[in-house]
Amino acid sequence: MSMPPNKQPFDLGKAAYLGLNLLLLAFLLAPIAIVLVFALNPTPYISFPPVGVTLHWFDKFFETADFMRSLWLSLWIAACVLVLSVVIGGACALALARGNLPGRAFLTAFFMSPLMLPAILTGLALFQSYLLSGIGRPLWGLIMAHTLIAVPYVLRTTLAVLHNFDRRIEEAASVLGASPARVFFEVTLPLIQPGVFAGGVFAFIVSFDQFPVSLFLVVPKGETLPVVLFNYMKFDLDGAIAAASMVSILLALAVVLALERLIGLKAYVKL
Amino acid sequence: MPAVVSRRPSPIAWLIAPALLLFILFFVLPFAVMVAMSFFSSNPIGNPHAVVTTRHYQRFIEDNAGIFHDALWETLRIGLVTTVASLLIGYPLAHWMARMQSRLGHALALMAVITPLLTGIVVRTFAWMTILQDKGVINTTLISWGLIHKPLPLMYNEFGTVVALVHIYVPFMVLTLIGVIGRIDERFEQAARSLGAGRLRAFAEVTLPLSLPGILAGSLLVFALSISAYVTPSLMGGTNVLTLPMLIAQQVGTSFNPGFAGALGVILLAVSLVIVVAYNRILTRLSGEQGLA
Repeated sequence: MSMPPNKQPFDLGKAAYLGLNLLLLAFLLAPIAIVLVFALNPTPYISFPPVGVTLHWFDKFFETADFMRSLWLSLWIAACVLVLSVVIGGACALALARGNLPGRAFLTAFFMSPLMLPAILTGLALFQSYLLSGIGRPLWGLIMAHTLIAVPYVLRTTLAVLHNFDRRIEEAASVLGASPARVFFEVTLPLIQPGVFAGGVFAFIVSFDQFPVSLFLVVPKGETLPVVLFNYMKFDLDGAIAAASMVSILLALAVVLALERLIGLKAYVKL
Repeated sequence: MPAVVSRRPSPIAWLIAPALLLFILFFVLPFAVMVAMSFFSSNPIGNPHAVVTTRHYQRFIEDNAGIFHDALWETLRIGLVTTVASLLIGYPLAHWMARMQSRLGHALALMAVITPLLTGIVVRTFAWMTILQDKGVINTTLISWGLIHKPLPLMYNEFGTVVALVHIYVPFMVLTLIGVIGRIDERFEQAARSLGAGRLRAFAEVTLPLSLPGILAGSLLVFALSISAYVTPSLMGGTNVLTLPMLIAQQVGTSFNPGFAGALGVILLAVSLVIVVAYNRILTRLSGEQGLA
């Protein structure tokens, strides 16, 4: 090992600290990377080390009717959830930040609480309510359930942006004679747009990957992709699952890059 | 128009209505229904003979089959071990990232933490199955190196469950801790060091105590999330692990006993609520206003 180029002597403590943290990062990323290996490995079952490269599993994934139906269903649900949660969550964030509402702190905690309460209980509670009211398990019921879980994410990103921007910009506009509606559409809305979009991106992925809330609410032949994968994995562990997983991982990567561009990932390092 | 901050709700406050409606219809009411169902012998609308009863709770307390108390205990134990392990892994990472000078390094490390967070739970559990199963990455590698002769039991037990859960929840710990550690003035540590404290002592006596609220908040969050996990224990634990969420799913799926499922749900909910309230208290004190996870 050569000495580091700077003038300080080699610091064993610092090197160990860096090494440890790189190792921990590897712990976080290696499982994700390993999925790609199995998606490309031609053996009929998961086995290691890989013996070759094939796109057979991607073919199987894209040619299996069950996978495709659930993939499209999940994408369709996620798109609906994105629109609904952006409208509902964005409006809610504005009301909380600008509405002079009494009990704001309590209301914020209330709207964030689906994130903290066990998601499987949210699914169970909705399942029982749908059962009791006799509406069965309609698709819109599943979409509303996902929206409920997604709204807190939109709320969080929008509130973060609302807290950060200077209220005097809005006041300046209204002093200069803009009507409240004009202030809203020409000043407030453009300023919070990145936060709302980031929340929408989050909402999409939360819905697409949602499992515990969906578990009790899906009907046979109407399962979402995570539920189909889960049921498949209980009996079969082959490369088709790995290929399906790559779809989810690539989507997550796209979302991370989108978030970084929209409002910067730093916004999530907030209490 | 005068720019006086009025105390009365402004018209903008009405924008809260859709969210309020959604949360009342699809959150508050359903949970009330779940609690109510746990006190009925069967579906009170479908069955006119349904009576109010506490027998679902009695069934849990008496535990004649000897599995319910074990399941509760196993749930809490897995939650606790997962939390401690997540803290041990998450703290060094958060400390490193909070003190990192390079902006690019910080952004890359953040991406590395957030990408797994945004990958589905089913997918991440699948990844761990390929690593830990008998013919998985670790066992085949160790066997081919001649270090072991038969596969180690890394999966279908509590160990495998905890490993996968830690991987899933470490990002939550890291994100909570970065915020707290980042707000601790680095000059405190520098002052301690210039007064002669070693690096470890300065950390143990200055930074660590100041980050305690973050440690507590992150731990409560990870605990609350891991006791409600369903996918990971059922795939990684196989038939050797039975947690409360798995028991609930069984009651709905195979036994079709929504009343008892409701009672189990209320028990899990009670545990979670205690944790959530404590978590919100800490965050409120930390940030001066209602915290966001």
